[in-house]
Amino acid sequence: MTIVITALQYLGYVLIFPGFLFCFLAGMLLCGIDRKLVAKMQKRVGPPILQPFYDFFKLCGKETIIPASASKTTFLMAPLVGLAALVVIQLFIPVFSFSAFSGMADVIVILYLLLIPAMSIILGGAASGSPYAGVGLSREMVTIISCELPLVLVLLAVAKTVGSAMGTGLCFSLSDIAAYQAMNGSLITKLSMIPAAVAMLLIIPGETGNHPFDAAEAETEICEGLLAEYSGAPLGVFKLSHAIKMLTLTSLFVALFLGGLGTGIVALDGIILFLLCVVLTAVSISFVHAITARLKIEQIFKFYWTLVTGLALISLVLAWYGL
Amino acid sequence: MFKKLIQESMGKSPWLFHINAGSCNGCDIELVSVLTPRYDAERLGFKLAGSPRHADIVVVTGPVTKQSLPRVLRAISQVPEPRCIVTMGSCPQSGNVFRGSYSVAGPLSKYVHVDVDVAGCAPKPEAVIDGLALATQILKEKRGQMK
Amino acid sequence: MDLPFVKEALHQLFSKSSCAMYPVVPSEAAPNYRGRIVYHPDRCLGCGMCERVCSGNAITRTVEHLPDDQGDKITLTFNLGSCTFCATCADFCSSHSIEFTGDYHMVATKEEDLLVSGSFIKAPRKKPAAPAAPAKAEACAAAEPAAEAPKPREDGKPVNDPAKCVYCTLCARKCPAGALTVDRAAKTWTLDEDKCVACGTCAEACPKNCIIM
Repeated sequence: MTIVITALQYLGYVLIFPGFLFCFLAGMLLCGIDRKLVAKMQKRVGPPILQPFYDFFKLCGKETIIPASASKTTFLMAPLVGLAALVVIQLFIPVFSFSAFSGMADVIVILYLLLIPAMSIILGGAASGSPYAGVGLSREMVTIISCELPLVLVLLAVAKTVGSAMGTGLCFSLSDIAAYQAMNGSLITKLSMIPAAVAMLLIIPGETGNHPFDAAEAETEICEGLLAEYSGAPLGVFKLSHAIKMLTLTSLFVALFLGGLGTGIVALDGIILFLLCVVLTAVSISFVHAITARLKIEQIFKFYWTLVTGLALISLVLAWYGL
Repeated sequence: MFKKLIQESMGKSPWLFHINAGSCNGCDIELVSVLTPRYDAERLGFKLAGSPRHADIVVVTGPVTKQSLPRVLRAISQVPEPRCIVTMGSCPQSGNVFRGSYSVAGPLSKYVHVDVDVAGCAPKPEAVIDGLALATQILKEKRGQMK
Repeated sequence: MDLPFVKEALHQLFSKSSCAMYPVVPSEAAPNYRGRIVYHPDRCLGCGMCERVCSGNAITRTVEHLPDDQGDKITLTFNLGSCTFCATCADFCSSHSIEFTGDYHMVATKEEDLLVSGSFIKAPRKKPAAPAAPAKAEACAAAEPAAEAPKPREDGKPVNDPAKCVYCTLCARKCPAGALTVDRAAKTWTLDEDKCVACGTCAEACPKNCIIM
C-alpha cells in the first residue's frame, strides 16, 4: 500500500509539480515575459505574454517534414531526449527546502544533465544532414565548451563555501546547499559569492543560447543553424526545451545563491521560485538581449574564457580563503 | 478541443519567410519596416523565420527572374502545410516595369497558387499588415480543412 | 566591450512605446500619397495618352463599335497589380480624368479585385460634318494670307493661327491621336477632324502659343 502511495507521489512529482506540467507552464510564461520585456526595452509593444503557447500549439498543427537525407529515428527522437533531460534536472533542483529527489543527486549530476539538451540538439541537427546544421553544430559545441568552464568554477566556489562551513571540504549536494542557506541566509550576501553570482548571470544566456550568444542559431546568417530542417511538432518541442532551459538555469541560480527565502509551504515556494526566475530572466536574458548585438563565435569563446572565467576564479580564490 | 486550440493558435502566430525573387529592394525594405518598433508586427505574433521549414506565410517580392524561379519554387515547396503565399508589390503579380524582359519568368501565379496579392510599388507598411492579416485568416481556414 | 544602449533600454522599459497600433488605430496616408487610382470616365476624351506613357503597361484601352451609329464605347482598365504609381498618366491627362487617391488598402485574393475600370460612350460624328471636314481644312490653309486671328471653334478642336505659326511640327509629334499633319517645306497645318479628340495636347506643346482651342 505504501509502495503504491509512494509511486503515485513520485508520479505526481514527475508529471505535475517540479516536473513536466510546472516546467511547461512556467517555462513558456518565462519565455513570453522575456519576449515582452525585450520588446519593451526596444520601444515596441511586443507579443502577448501567452505568445509562446500559441507558437507551440501552432507548431503542433503543422506538417512535419523529414528530409530525405536525414536519419529518421535520431531526427525525431532527439527533441524528446532533450526535453526529458530538462524535466529530470528540474526534478533534482530543490525548490527552497522542498526537493523531489533530494538525496540522489548533486551538482555534478546537474552539470552532466545540462549537457544532454545541448547534445540532443547537436544530434538532431547532425541527423538532419543539412550543411547549415553542420555549421550550427560546430558553433553550438564551441558555445558549450565556452560556458562549461566558468560554470564548473562557479559550482566549485559554491561547493567550497558551503563545504568549509560544514567542515566537509567540498559540498556538492544541492539539498545540503539549500539547508545551509536556510540556516545562514542566502549565499549572495557573502562577499566571496558576488563575482560568482555575476558570472552565473552571464552564463545563463550562453547556456540557453539566447541573443548575444546565439551564434549557433543565427537565423539571419545560417538559417537558424541546427533547427534549419526541423518543422512542425519536433520544432515545437525544441522551442519548449529552450523555454524550459531558461527556467532550469534561473532556478539553479536561485538554488545556488538565493536559497533560504522559502516559506516552507510548497505551493507558495513554487510561486516565489517562479517570481525570482522572472526577475533573473529580466536581468540576465532580456536586458542583455536588448542592449547587445550578436557576437561572433570566437568573441563568445573569448568573452567566457576571459571575463566570466576571471570572475568565477576570483570568487573561488576568495572562497578558498574563507571570505 | 485540441484541434480548435491549434486552429486558434494558427491565427495568432504566423511566421513569415521572405523570398526575394529579383526585387529592387523597395518592397524588402518596406517588409522589414513592418517589423521595426514603428509598426511592430510582433505584437500580432508575426516573426521573421530564418528557414522555410519554420514558416507559415511566404512573402515573395520581385518579378521572379529566370535565375530565381527554380529556387523560389523549391523554397516554397519546403514550407510545411498549411501554408499561405503572399505576393508583395506589383512585380510578382504582373512583372510591372520588368514585364516582357528576356530574364523575367513571372508572374508568380503561373507556377503556384497565390493566396493574397498586396498591390503597391512599394506597398505602405499598413497595407502589408492588411495583407498579412488576410493571409492569417486564410491560414486558419486551411488549418480547419486539414484532417 | 562597448554597451551604448544600457541607459536607453532602461529608460524605454518604463516609457511609452513608439508603435503605431495600425489595425486598431486607423492610419491616413501622407498628403499627395499616390494610392488607388480613381478614373472619371465622364471627363475622359479617350485620347490614349495615358496608355502610351505608362511604364508598367498597366492601362489598356478597348474600343467597341456600337451598332446603329450609336458611337464607340471606350473602356479604360487600370491594373493596380501592374502599376508603379508614378502618376505619369495623371500628369499627361489633359482632362484630369485620372486621380490618385490616398487609399492604400490594395489587398486582394483575386487578381480581378485589383482592376479599376470605367467606360464611356463617345458620340458619333454628325453625318453632314464628314464631307465638310476636308473643305474646312482647306479653308484653314487658305486663310493663311488673311493674317487675322482665328476664333476658337465651338467643338473644342484646335485652330491654328498662321500668323504666329513657325511650322515646327511639335504639335504633330505630340498629338496622341495622330490627327495633325504639318509640312515644314510647304508650310501647311492640317487637322484630321475624324481623328482629333480635342485633348489640347497640341496647344500645350506649342512653343509659340499659336494653337487656339
